[in-house]
Amino acid sequence: VSSGAESEATEALPESDLPGPFPVGSYAARLKTRLQQFANVQLIGEVWGFRSSRTRVYFELRDPRGALPCSMWQSDFEALDVSLTDGLKVVVGGGCDYYPGSSTSSPSFSFAVTELRIAGEGDLLAQLERLRRRLAAEGLFEHQKRLARPPLPKTIGVVTGERGKARDDVLAGLHRRGWAGRLVWAFAPVQDRHAAPRIAAALRELAAVPEVEVVIVARGGGSLADLFAFCDEGLCRTVALLRVPVIASVGHHTDRTLIDDVAAVCCSTPTHAAEAAVPIDCRAARAGMTTYARRLHGHGRRAILDRARTLGHLARAPDQHVARHRRHLHQMLRELRASAKRAGEQGRTRASTHLLVLRRTAERARGSDHAKRTRELERLMLALAAHDPQRTLARGYALVEDPGGEPLGSAAAAREAEDLRVRFHDGALRARVTNDEEAP
Amino acid sequence: VSTERTYESAVARIEEIIRRLDSGDAGLRETLELVKEGRDLVEYCAGELEAVSSGLQELRLEELVARLEGAGASQ
Repeated sequence: VSSGAESEATEALPESDLPGPFPVGSYAARLKTRLQQFANVQLIGEVWGFRSSRTRVYFELRDPRGALPCSMWQSDFEALDVSLTDGLKVVVGGGCDYYPGSSTSSPSFSFAVTELRIAGEGDLLAQLERLRRRLAAEGLFEHQKRLARPPLPKTIGVVTGERGKARDDVLAGLHRRGWAGRLVWAFAPVQDRHAAPRIAAALRELAAVPEVEVVIVARGGGSLADLFAFCDEGLCRTVALLRVPVIASVGHHTDRTLIDDVAAVCCSTPTHAAEAAVPIDCRAARAGMTTYARRLHGHGRRAILDRARTLGHLARAPDQHVARHRRHLHQMLRELRASAKRAGEQGRTRASTHLLVLRRTAERARGSDHAKRTRELERLMLALAAHDPQRTLARGYALVEDPGGEPLGSAAAAREAEDLRVRFHDGALRARVTNDEEAP
Repeated sequence: VSTERTYESAVARIEEIIRRLDSGDAGLRETLELVKEGRDLVEYCAGELEAVSSGLQELRLEELVARLEGAGASQ
């Protein structure tokens, strides 16, 4: 420091006994060295004004008697996997540090934190367990479970942090269900000492809206201290007695807050909470309804058509029956005619045959009789011819007849007749008795 | 006994109706009555689904309360 003082000696305050003036950068560097020589210690206090930059996080550690600005490397802080909220009591380990600044940047003092843990977690857990037993004993865990949850809520209320990831997760869950109804956001702080009353107020206001059928309370993961707002007795009593079912998704599945116990349903993630709020997959349900409608339509149509078809068959049956019988009768008639024709022909043939046979028989019979008769006749004719006077005449005899043609067998008769007719075999002559001679 | 129709009860009844129709035991009159009842129920369910399919409507609680209060005041 003395070397710096020498160089700036001409600028020294004339009335001052103090050494210097020294270049401020040198003094700041000395101060940094001196502060860093302070022993590293643990401090306990409440966190306020937490903020983070690209490389470091900053907060104040306060208690009623004083405060200290603290900073921590971002990478160290992230490794702890905690989030710090105003009023959170923490124990930090580290030491003093000083950033000397420069001509273009401001200096700053901070307690450089290298270790950090949430204070009193053990106490919190014990306190939480006592409260859980008390609420359970009062039966407050049962009220919400008894509420009927609508399968298809038209309006859903959501209590969550405005900038939290839970908000997107809820939307993703609802989208997955194909749900696109009315969503009422009730944004509230989801950590620190003000969170519980604000969440309870948001729930009461949502429940006061008649259209709201179910409410989701969602928050991402965090330390027990972060989630402690959801173990608040007042909030839990509000939830327990709410008229609408509350679906809680607070922290990760390993965390169990009291709101999980009093809510109608508790889910491990906000996405699952959204799906629990809409138990039905709306897309599948819409497709299902189309199928149902088609099947009902088919049944209705078939019920009519099948019966109409049956009636049609029945209505046509008598006609068909008559037509069938008519055809059958026609067939029988044709067969009968054909049969009669065949029978007639056969009869005729048979009759002809008989006739022929008869004729032949008759002819045969007639033939033999005829011959016999002929022969008889011939015999008779021969016999007759033998007695025929003509034959006698032919032998040279003549027949004398009276004028009347009667034969005159005696000379006496001829004398008496006077006029005679003498018949020869080749003609007749008229004669008169002129010489009456005695017959010899 | 509550006679209030809900989506779940409607779907359960539709499935029961379809089972009965599929069995083929229902006569004409019963079939037509069941089909009519089924169609009414499908229409009801489709209406319920339609109500949550018309597009996501997001609003803040304060907006909804203000709207409801405005509606109440105008009455």
